[in-house]
Amino acid sequence: MNVISRGIRNAFRNTIRTFSIVLILGLIIGLSLAMLVAHQAVGQKINSVESSVGNTVSISPAGVRGFSGGGNPLTETQIAKVQKLAHVTSVDESLSDRLTTSNSNLVSAVDAGSLGQRFAGNSGQSFTPPAGAGFGGSESGGTTTFTPPVTVNGTTDPTNLSTTQGGGTFKLTSGKVFSSTSSDNVAIIGSSLATKNNLKIGSTFTAYSTTITVVGIFDAGNSFSNNQVIMPLATVQALSNQAGDITSATANVDSITNVDSVTTAVKSALGSAADVTNAAAEAQTTIKPLKSIQTISLYSLFGAAVAGAIIILLTMVMIVRERRREIGVIKAIGASNIKIMIQFMTEAITLTLLGSVIGIGIGVVAGNPITKLLVNNSTSSSTTPTPGRGIGRAFGGIGNSLSSVHGAVGWSIILYGLVGALVIAILGSTLASYFIAKVRPAEVMRAE
Amino acid sequence: MLQITELKKVFKSGDTNVLAVNDISFSVSDGQFASIIGKSGSGKSTLLSLLGALDKPTSGHIMVGDKDITKLHDRALIKYRGRKIGFVFQSYNLVPNLTAIENVCLPMEFAKVPKKQRLERAKALLTQVGLSTDQQQRKPGRLSGGQQQRVAIARALANKPQLILADEPTGNLDSQTGKMIFDLLHNLAKTENTTIVTVTHDLSIAGKTDVTFMLRDGKLVKE
Repeated sequence: MNVISRGIRNAFRNTIRTFSIVLILGLIIGLSLAMLVAHQAVGQKINSVESSVGNTVSISPAGVRGFSGGGNPLTETQIAKVQKLAHVTSVDESLSDRLTTSNSNLVSAVDAGSLGQRFAGNSGQSFTPPAGAGFGGSESGGTTTFTPPVTVNGTTDPTNLSTTQGGGTFKLTSGKVFSSTSSDNVAIIGSSLATKNNLKIGSTFTAYSTTITVVGIFDAGNSFSNNQVIMPLATVQALSNQAGDITSATANVDSITNVDSVTTAVKSALGSAADVTNAAAEAQTTIKPLKSIQTISLYSLFGAAVAGAIIILLTMVMIVRERRREIGVIKAIGASNIKIMIQFMTEAITLTLLGSVIGIGIGVVAGNPITKLLVNNSTSSSTTPTPGRGIGRAFGGIGNSLSSVHGAVGWSIILYGLVGALVIAILGSTLASYFIAKVRPAEVMRAE
Repeated sequence: MLQITELKKVFKSGDTNVLAVNDISFSVSDGQFASIIGKSGSGKSTLLSLLGALDKPTSGHIMVGDKDITKLHDRALIKYRGRKIGFVFQSYNLVPNLTAIENVCLPMEFAKVPKKQRLERAKALLTQVGLSTDQQQRKPGRLSGGQQQRVAIARALANKPQLILADEPTGNLDSQTGKMIFDLLHNLAKTENTTIVTVTHDLSIAGKTDVTFMLRDGKLVKE
């Protein structure tokens, strides 16, 4: 038997005390691991959100929002300046237009209803529809029957359709998307529009008096978006006689943290010609509760670790005081301070490792539920999905995805737990070691 | 040979100095059994602590063989205590969660004696002091006072010390068992040629030792 085995054996000298200490340490270590799991899972989620959502800058011609307002379109030359800015990874360009009954055989899948009639009537006092660009509808006996128009979007980013007009979660239900540099007379059409016009993959329709082939059908989950036609940007620019024109662009930024600086740079590059906005603040607000959880979990982790260290420290001090005479005797028969300290440290490590076994069990079982509980409580009280168009809708998605944080106890967490337990044991043994060093063997004689 | 010269130990108690051991000089030959007697507070246990290098004297010299232990530094003192001195205490002071044989092995472990050798010697010593094989495997709580003191004596002899210091070794035992323990120590002093210094209140025991020293108020008053 040596000091190590004696230390391990000493850990079981008082069964009830050992059981109590191990249980308390197990709960503390379990809580620490659960907090570590929550901290890591939430951190990964924040990184994921920051690098993928809200990291865009929307650019539109000054005074224009969709088909409202006025002003002049942007040009590809202006967008090229944006492309060159630091932290901008890519720029998606689009040109929106409306197909009229005079240049397309498509029938809108949306009924005007009273809202559509009102929108058509409230066009502004001095509004004069451009020649040949009249809205869909027909005139009979002096009464115009309004039909909502079919919107056509020319885009360079057909794979990321959720950023185009109307928002929603675009899902290609059949066919394929065209390439970003395509200039073919092809289109992806909304499912409502396809049904209304009895179009399938390979079918054709007329737009700008040109035959267009349907290559894909999508479902965006809302009637407005499903009434749209998506075509290559170059095709729309050519067919609508708007060569080089852009009605909206989205600059993709490498991280949400750079969005504000890129927004400023874009404003500076384009001047008063463009309205430049971003949703970084909204995204930051959305992930704020996650950051709070991260902070709370970090403090809880430290708190639990300190509590564990204090418990083992007080336990070891109590044990040393209790065995003061025994320490004196062992010193009297030839043991050095170091040997006795190692023996007591082994005892502390044994107790802590036993606690960490229970703690890891608790962490494995409770890590994910505690993470979910923290995330759900926090995000449900502070995240309100923003209904509406484009990015607003997309943020509704973020809010929902925040609660999908999943925490799991991996090997790295177990390793952290064991190392943490060792550190706690060693820290907890320091004061005990000091008391051991202070025990003078002569006290054994005086106590006789 | 144990040679003590002008040994003094002063303790501080508040603002006053207490002279626990006052200028004591005496010697004990190898293999002699010496006893120290005196009233409570006369300095017996303090003197024993100084002889066992458990405490340092304020002044004076303690020669054990040819070595002045008052001049040894801490690490050498630990070694000295472990290999040259054996202690027997009034209340046995065995480690409660170790068996009798493990208790006897303990000083040999600190002296880095190989495991096999220390087990053999521990068994031999325990047999020598009269413990059966079954009793050797018991923890102190399952042994009588006399048996525990036998284990303590075996532990004191483990590293073949030059000097055994016993502090009231029969104080917690009935007279018959006390006599048996005394006889055991006496025989060991002769057979192992070990010097034994014991502190006792029992004058009948003191009378049977080779030499007796009487202390009063820290001073040696009678030899």
